[in-house]
Amino acid sequence: MAEPSAAGRPFDEEALPHLDALYRVALRLTGDPSQAEDLVQDTMLKAYRSWQQYRPGTNAKGWLLTILRNTFINDYRRRKHEPIAMDLEAVEPHALDRSLEEVDPEGSFFSQIVDAKVVEAIDALPTEFREVLVLSDVEGMRYAEIAETLQIPVGTVKSRLFRARRLLQAQLYAHAVEMGYIRPREATR
Amino acid sequence: MSGVNCKKAMAQLDEYLKQELTPDLAAEVRRHLEHCRPCFSHARFEQNFLAMMETCGRRETCPSQLRAKILEALRAEARRR
Repeated sequence: MAEPSAAGRPFDEEALPHLDALYRVALRLTGDPSQAEDLVQDTMLKAYRSWQQYRPGTNAKGWLLTILRNTFINDYRRRKHEPIAMDLEAVEPHALDRSLEEVDPEGSFFSQIVDAKVVEAIDALPTEFREVLVLSDVEGMRYAEIAETLQIPVGTVKSRLFRARRLLQAQLYAHAVEMGYIRPREATR
Repeated sequence: MSGVNCKKAMAQLDEYLKQELTPDLAAEVRRHLEHCRPCFSHARFEQNFLAMMETCGRRETCPSQLRAKILEALRAEARRR
């Protein structure tokens, strides 16, 4: 149904296999299923219209996610109730909790946790941390692709990821204690 | 033992696990992990954590009615041209 790209590839063949990933990222960015649906549809239409500009050899998933993220920033972000921005660099990685690893060094807890709890914990991360974590650790984008998508240096991608993972681990530790999977550490004096 | 020490190996662990290192550097980290139990254990923890995020985070899929709606919108767009 669509005209082929400069590389001669039909749009459907390249873009449709990534709908699941686009929908998940849209959910994580908007935090709202109906907005996520609109965002995915807008993204697909924009991508379709600029399909001729798609460069052969580039990663279609990365290209689509870039369009999705830009559309979100330009058209959706203002609609959303953003939590008060936090000073990202103030989240000191060394000060972050390593409690989970101390009580569960093999990370066995990770095989017991319910999906919904993990998604909930990801959604609770500050936006800048959430988006790198989702693009990298959930959707498997390379650091260089994420840097290009978000227009930030690769070093920033890495440092945000590092902090995002520690924050997530701290939340999962709290959850593990809450559900009685592990006992909290004794407070040290 | 030659090669990297704990500090250097752990500084590269994230990129090692995400397969972002060059083959040479990855081999150095791998050799270190084979010989150092604390680093090996930490690597296992991080690896399980990464696997968990991928498994749990990818469970949701695009609803079928949204898929159908998008296909319809794309067809309408194609007719407009």
